[in-house]
Amino acid sequence: MTHPMIQFDKVLKAYGALQVLKDLDFSVDKGEVVSIIGPSGSGKTTVLRVLMTLEGIQGGTMYVDGEPLNKMNVDGQLVDASKAHIRRIRSKIGMVFQNFNLFPHMTALENCNESPIFTQGKSKAEATEESMRLLDTVGLADKANHYPSQLSGGQQQRVAIARTLAMHPEILLFDEPTSALDPEMVGEVLEVIRNLAESGNYTMLLVTHQMGFAREVSDRVCFFDGGFMVEQGQPNDLFGNPQNERLKQFLSKVLEAG
Amino acid sequence: MNRVAIVSALIAFLVGLSVATFSELRVFLPAILKGAVVTVQVSILSIALFIFLSVLAGIGRARGGRAIRWLSTIYVEVFRGTSLLVILFWMFFVMPEFGVTLSPMFAGVAAIGLNFGAYGAEVVRGAITAVPKGQTEATIALNMSPYRRMTRIVLPQAIAIMIPGMSNLTIELIKATALVSAVTLVDITYAAVQQNQLHYRTVEIFLITMMLYYVLAQFVRFGGEALEEYFTRHLNRRV
Ligand SMILES: Nc1ncnc2c1ncn2[C@@H]1O[C@H](COP(=O)(O)OP(=O)(O)O)[C@@H](O)[C@H]1O
Ligand SMILES: [Mg+2]
Repeated sequence: MTHPMIQFDKVLKAYGALQVLKDLDFSVDKGEVVSIIGPSGSGKTTVLRVLMTLEGIQGGTMYVDGEPLNKMNVDGQLVDASKAHIRRIRSKIGMVFQNFNLFPHMTALENCNESPIFTQGKSKAEATEESMRLLDTVGLADKANHYPSQLSGGQQQRVAIARTLAMHPEILLFDEPTSALDPEMVGEVLEVIRNLAESGNYTMLLVTHQMGFAREVSDRVCFFDGGFMVEQGQPNDLFGNPQNERLKQFLSKVLEAG
Repeated sequence: MNRVAIVSALIAFLVGLSVATFSELRVFLPAILKGAVVTVQVSILSIALFIFLSVLAGIGRARGGRAIRWLSTIYVEVFRGTSLLVILFWMFFVMPEFGVTLSPMFAGVAAIGLNFGAYGAEVVRGAITAVPKGQTEATIALNMSPYRRMTRIVLPQAIAIMIPGMSNLTIELIKATALVSAVTLVDITYAAVQQNQLHYRTVEIFLITMMLYYVLAQFVRFGGEALEEYFTRHLNRRV
């Protein structure tokens, strides 16, 4: 039996009385690249944050690679997951943040080495070899010994991507990875993400306002509005022939803004 | 360190002046310096206890589970809300009533460490809370354990934030060690009072006493500044 890599089953997320995700059903296949678009406040970031377990959910179940994430099987019953269970499942997921969140007291290389050494128990030499290779693939091998404060925004985000790859996730989550960047640095980061998408090695979930980029790299695009996934489809269908009225409005606004 | 030079020069000048002016210096100075040794001993031991308790209760209040947070809060409230001198009297004069006799040194160090640890815990808690939330989120995304999160990511950044507050408290602590003279320890202050009773050189003796405390405080201040510079060296620099 094949199962989706990511599955949301009636996931409910609320902040107090405010329901941000309303019984969300949503799944992503292994190797699929899915972009999430939608107006600000529609719950896009929240989808990634609950999957990364940065936020708890109030109802429903999330599955990763066929296994429940926020629940676990005990004697055939689904019960609330233990911390150890969450950590085991979570190791398959990596996330790249809008604001990079690099560790400022560590060099680019040390940022990349941190999780392999202290979470996966690799030797420093082993971790360093792999981190250097990853920094090289994001074009920053020569900045390995620089601290985040010595790097441009685009460089910091590329280090953050290398750091995420160093823990060998199967799923990559990107939350508006270029929104905090000066325009001239957007391209270098998108280039790295494009290569990851095209490699086919990762299941990717990308929240973005870069419509052109989403159209180009995604297998599927999902439009969120008000906590619901209102429409989804292949990029050409969704952008070329939108059905939902809100999506039409959203696209015309975004395209007007350029 | 230009300021070090100025301060040392000033001190050398004042000492020189004293030697020249106050001929009886060598009569009372050795006793006061012996007191200084005691003050330094009490200071070092209580600073160690103060830092240990600050970090423990500060982390407890910022990140502990319910029970630990509750315990830390009680500790902080009790020792911030009571006078250091009264706690010292409890340690030294009241505990023996319950069959626990503490040496003056032990009582002094315990009272000072407990009292300042309660203030330090608030500094540590504030510093931990001030580390951006995104740092914690990154550690979760990298699947780090809560222990590594604290020791590798949060504390190293919190230390940079807490150093000015902690070094101020350390200076306050050194000045507060004068209270141990109340439980028979012959520290700088006690020695000064004794020497004054013997020699009646009030101005000279208490000028020297002031200078000694000032010098100790300067050590802490420069140490704190050096540490702060060390821990913030990568945080704000743009090249
Ligand atoms: N920590 C929080 N507390 C309260 N409300 C929140 C919090 N985080 C997000 N929200 C609310 O949840 C909704 C969805 O937020 P988000 O997922 O960040 O939207 P998007 O990423 O699509 O802009 C918004 O209305 C936002 O104000
Ligand atoms: Mg968002």
